[in-house]
Amino acid sequence: MNAGGVWFLGRRYLGRNRAKTALLVAAFSLVWLLPAGIALVVGKVEEQLRARAAGTPLLLGQAGSPLELVFNGLYFTKPAIATLPYGGTEAIAADGLATVIPLYARYAAADHRIVGTTLDYFDFRGLEIREGRGLIDLGECVVGSGVAAQNGIVPGDSVISTPETLFDLAGVYPLKMKVVGVLAPSGTPDDAAIFVDVKTAWIIEGLGHGHEEADKLGEEARLAALSGSDDGAVRLNASVVQYNEVTEENTDDFHFHGEIADYPVTAAIVIPVDAKAQALLKGRYGKAGGPQLISPGTEMDELFATVFSVQDFVLRLLGAIGVATLAIGALVFLLSNRLRRDEFRHLRHLGADPGTVRALVLFEGAFVVVTSLMMAGAGLAILRIVAPILVRQWLA
Amino acid sequence: MIHCEQVRFAYPGEAFVLGIEAFSVARGEAVALVGPSGCGKSTLMNLISGLLVPQSGAILVDGVEVNLFPLAARQRFRLGMIGLVPQNFELLDYLTVRENILLPFRLGAGGGIGDEARARCEELAERAGIASHLRKYPDQLSQGERQRAALCRGLVTAAPLILADEPTGNLDPENQDRIVSLMLEEAREIGATVLMITHDPLLLPRFDRTIDVPALRKGGVA
Repeated sequence: MNAGGVWFLGRRYLGRNRAKTALLVAAFSLVWLLPAGIALVVGKVEEQLRARAAGTPLLLGQAGSPLELVFNGLYFTKPAIATLPYGGTEAIAADGLATVIPLYARYAAADHRIVGTTLDYFDFRGLEIREGRGLIDLGECVVGSGVAAQNGIVPGDSVISTPETLFDLAGVYPLKMKVVGVLAPSGTPDDAAIFVDVKTAWIIEGLGHGHEEADKLGEEARLAALSGSDDGAVRLNASVVQYNEVTEENTDDFHFHGEIADYPVTAAIVIPVDAKAQALLKGRYGKAGGPQLISPGTEMDELFATVFSVQDFVLRLLGAIGVATLAIGALVFLLSNRLRRDEFRHLRHLGADPGTVRALVLFEGAFVVVTSLMMAGAGLAILRIVAPILVRQWLA
Repeated sequence: MIHCEQVRFAYPGEAFVLGIEAFSVARGEAVALVGPSGCGKSTLMNLISGLLVPQSGAILVDGVEVNLFPLAARQRFRLGMIGLVPQNFELLDYLTVRENILLPFRLGAGGGIGDEARARCEELAERAGIASHLRKYPDQLSQGERQRAALCRGLVTAAPLILADEPTGNLDPENQDRIVSLMLEEAREIGATVLMITHDPLLLPRFDRTIDVPALRKGGVA
């Protein structure tokens, strides 16, 4: 066999039929890449989800879907669960059985979830401040690295909460929050969140608010503001200016109505002091219809059992499609070689040895298979680098 | 240059039998093979080139009994000793005219092409009037131009034996004359033997000798 001649003729044939070759290489590359790529991406998703779940011992939430609770409590997805009274979380802490970190992740600013919590959360997740400082006062926020990067936010800027509905005039007003710090990247959903004190989250909810004090108003304004005092209490009408930003000047004018213990949280991270405390707590919250205390790791196991069965099905399906694609590819080669019979005869007439002709027959197939394997390998290598980033963005 | 003796060839399962007692062609001779269609002209040429192997008899080319070689050796022999000019051009459509002309070098050991071969390709293309088409593909050429390209390919290795299977069959008189003239001139220059199948009696005077294949089959030499 003349390797140089085979290489030359094979290369020229493929070059002259580049559209067909490119299509075959693309189809074969997908056959190799898709199953491996899906397995890789699912593996990365699992890795990311499990890592965060494994780092959270217990999660307390209202009765409902445990998965919804996990996704809102750990990954800050839009809440589709009922809220829990804040007092319920305080009760656990009061028993001394666990440390409790409340989470109120109902509102958002643009596409980023606003997470109301306490400073314990930052210690628990090992989050570090890259720029600026941590939360100190009401109305302040600390943004995740992804939020800062995406929106060009630096300490000193402001973030405004997004109203749940534009037409609910009596509902939640947007709150302008001062950015005091930016978190270091963590590769978790925390990068895409905006953290505020839980009380600030309640202000966004409208449970706490700030407005001009009646006794500080001018006489004329005061009269306009007074709408009735039959029971001796002063009620102010809508002409009183409500603050939509907490500043040094108006911070003392912010106050909460009702019992703080009744205020809502979407979830609470519960960190038992020991295994016994954990067992006690789990027993306490095992009643049907009441608040649920779940282990996120266990919920993830159940979720991935379902995901893997779906993945298994998808991979089998892709396998069948792959076999069909390979069969079509083989048919293309056979037809192509049939069309090239004259060419091979010409080459034999000219003096090409049988090995050279056989090698030419195999060249196209070998080229497509090897190139598609290389392309799939390159694609997989790129996916290996990009997948964790994409998965993090997706989970954020 | 060519000597055939007691050659007998039959295609498997077919009634056709080519039987030749003896015939010879001298070195440097230009011979036209004539005869009606189906009389065995192409078969005889394929036997001489080693594409077919006779059931009996001997075919000697340049003193070598070709039919005793195994297949691979016959291919090498053909590549080194014979310049083939087929009737239907047999140009590869994915190679340029230049690449088609130089193809025998690609099929040879190593597959490399030297400067000498390139220069000969340019020279032949110039003489055949297709120098400006060297970068084109066969489907961009006329019939006559394609046949001239096929002729250049047959001549490029300066093989001592040129076998031309009716290379002018599809061409107009002007192109026929051009092809035959170029082939015979080139053969004379390098001292090559030419064996060409033709049906055109007007071309016969251009050859040193004419062999009537049906007569040859009966045992006579024209």
